[in-house]
Amino acid sequence: MTDFISLFDPISIILITIGGILIGLGVHFIPVGGAPAAMAQATGVGTGTVQLAAGAGLTGLISAGFMYSMLGNDGLSNIELVQVMLSGAVGAMIMISVTMFIGQLVYVYCVGVPPVSAKVDKDPITGDIQDIYVSKGTEGHGIPTVSFVSGVIGGLLGGMGGSLIYAILMNAGSPGPIESLLVGPSPATIALAGIFSAGVFYVNAVVASYNIGGTIEGFHDPKFKRVPKAVISCLIASLLCAMIAVPIMGGL
Amino acid sequence: MSTAAGGPAGGGISATNVAILGIVGGLAGIYLSTILNGITETTYFSFFGGIGAILAGVWGADAVRRVCSYGLGTGVPSIGMVALGMGIVAAIFGLALCYVLGIPVVLGPIIAIVVAAIIGFIMGTMANKILSMNIPIMERCMVEIAVAGCLVMIALCVTISGTLVFENSILNTDITILSSVIQTGFIALIFIGGAMIILHPFNACLGPDESQDRTLYVGVEKGGIIMAITGVASLVVIDVIPAMLTIVIGLLIWIIYFKKFINLTKRDAYKVIGTGLLPTEEELQ
Amino acid sequence: MTDPIIIDMGIVALTGALATIGGAAEDLESDVGSQSNPNSQVQLAAQMDFPHRIFNKAISGEPPAYGLWCASSAVVASVMLAKGMSVLFALAVGSLVGAILLGMFAVTAHMGRTASQSRFKQPLYMDMVVGHVPAIIAHGYIAVFCIVSFSYIMNAIMGHPFPLPLLALFWGVTAGAIGSSTGDVHYGAEREFQNQPFGCGLNASYSGNIVRKGEAGLRNGMDNVWACAKFGGPVTGLALGLTVFLDNWRSTIFTGANAEWFAIIAGLIIVVILILLNRYVEVDGRNAYGPYKEEEEGGAPA
Repeated sequence: MTDFISLFDPISIILITIGGILIGLGVHFIPVGGAPAAMAQATGVGTGTVQLAAGAGLTGLISAGFMYSMLGNDGLSNIELVQVMLSGAVGAMIMISVTMFIGQLVYVYCVGVPPVSAKVDKDPITGDIQDIYVSKGTEGHGIPTVSFVSGVIGGLLGGMGGSLIYAILMNAGSPGPIESLLVGPSPATIALAGIFSAGVFYVNAVVASYNIGGTIEGFHDPKFKRVPKAVISCLIASLLCAMIAVPIMGGL
Repeated sequence: MSTAAGGPAGGGISATNVAILGIVGGLAGIYLSTILNGITETTYFSFFGGIGAILAGVWGADAVRRVCSYGLGTGVPSIGMVALGMGIVAAIFGLALCYVLGIPVVLGPIIAIVVAAIIGFIMGTMANKILSMNIPIMERCMVEIAVAGCLVMIALCVTISGTLVFENSILNTDITILSSVIQTGFIALIFIGGAMIILHPFNACLGPDESQDRTLYVGVEKGGIIMAITGVASLVVIDVIPAMLTIVIGLLIWIIYFKKFINLTKRDAYKVIGTGLLPTEEELQ
Repeated sequence: MTDPIIIDMGIVALTGALATIGGAAEDLESDVGSQSNPNSQVQLAAQMDFPHRIFNKAISGEPPAYGLWCASSAVVASVMLAKGMSVLFALAVGSLVGAILLGMFAVTAHMGRTASQSRFKQPLYMDMVVGHVPAIIAHGYIAVFCIVSFSYIMNAIMGHPFPLPLLALFWGVTAGAIGSSTGDVHYGAEREFQNQPFGCGLNASYSGNIVRKGEAGLRNGMDNVWACAKFGGPVTGLALGLTVFLDNWRSTIFTGANAEWFAIIAGLIIVVILILLNRYVEVDGRNAYGPYKEEEEGGAPA
């Protein structure tokens, strides 16, 4: 029986909240066109926001879990925390860029459309003219460079957020440094931290996707201006989840 | 095409009645199985947890059905995933708090549903006030979905472990939820299986001629299958006979409600034919 | 004495190979049953007075669906492993359970959606249920077996700390996300709309006007998978295989001091290469197809 109040470690709670905000931000960067994009009717990847973000975030979580098990059995130092976060971020970035690239191959070589955005006249990164490449009756198709880069940033933020949550929960649940040198974190703690992170990830990803109404082209999309609302919402949602999850992990 | 935007969904059973069925049925399933297991010192009654999960899942499916008939802008699945995201955090909090504070485990599910309701209410309010989704029943449905998700989680945990004890202070002498459900990773099945009980029925029956009874039968039937698979998982946790009991009862529920679903499909479909050509032009007029 | 890194690389290559096959089967399964986003057009077709004989199966988004099949297969497999059965047997039986589960969900999804469209006079053909569900189960079996197998390899051989069902759930969600983002576009943008000119996105005014007639008779899900197996399926496999292989490769290849930093930097380099490759494909596409209208009249939305 531990003193319950002392389990509310404010630093852990703040870091998990930041992780949740990063996830919510990341979702806004990922270019998804929803169902219309699957018919080459809208710019972006042809799937739902939550689904793609979850796929990337969970790949990142797998990488972060790997990295944590290499580094963190005796608890994490600050530099190791950064390494776990970056590892998760890179895992998510690889997943999302491979997915976007292969999706692009399908758009260009199978459907036969050039990648183009209908929301801007010129690609902000390459300066390519966009509007004349939009085929009739559509709102753009494929993944132009600006959306691709935006998606990579989204993977970075989402993966970082997810692995930050995982790492902090693991730290909260780890035994003290002396015991852990002998046994390491228990498998139950790992599984609990993993499923908690997935739960918090889904909550934030869904909140963010409600904010963008399902589709967004990337950071050049006018919908991106709605970001502050998502930050507030994700802050509240992840703060709630963190205040619940941290004492439980610490109490075990 | 996601959901067609429209007005409130009608249906035979009122929302309140389904909610009562879900909350009472879910809690009854959880308590029946754990208390009867405790009195008889066996695990034969674990299957009540599965039945509780089905009832709570049907409630969740009905809430999804009501909120999704307004059109959310993203598909039906996302709301099911958020249900279980909120549900899993609340459920584990409720169960683990009893261990951390040393209070009786029977309070665990109550704490969990209160926490789930609070999270759900805040999420629903946020969706309407901050994200301006302006769906009139959002707050209520979010509360219902979160509580239902939380109850499904706890009930399925109980089905596997046969107990509400989250963790034992004495090292691994008894079966606990932590050692039997979480450490083994079976929580993954409960997480996604519970989500599918809640989100699949409406997604499967979506359309202008959707009817409440048919949708909810899908929920019961899918709950039966998930219950049977949690029974398989419990083979390594509780004795073989109680686990088989869960599997057999789950499969029976599946068979009965699958038949009912087929009958309702025959009632609702334009026509059910063995094979044939497409309807002719005249027929379509 | 073999350098242990060679064995490690062999294992990484095996996970990549399994993921490639699994990804391809995953996409083809969703094409037989028309799951995920292209399904919206199949759903819409009946509403626009185009009744059809294409299997309409909207279980849920592909990621949660594949999460469920893979997690339940992994649960059954780990129960059998705990009972002392052999690995391959456990994985095979586990995947069978997952695939049958997929079949059960497919039946209710198809019947439910069709019955909810009765006002558009879309009949429910029972021979389609009997004919398509075995093909769905078969493709699903290959996909689930491959995904659970490489999850098992990561868990048992590469030493990933997550328990098998959790790992299988995460990889299942990722596989579903990749499948619905890549290969399904072939089905949705091309195969469903072969009645439209090649080389353009679907004009919104043709929504729902899907191809309903096949080379002989009426087109069904089997005809669609036949076409998508030529491009959509294999590239989806490539995507999942690359994701699994590249991510595991960079985590495994570096050993010794600062290996963690090298792994992170290698991953970043891979991402930069992919951005450049994407740019190359974009330029190639723009040059090959050219604009839809002349530059001087540009400006107005097309």
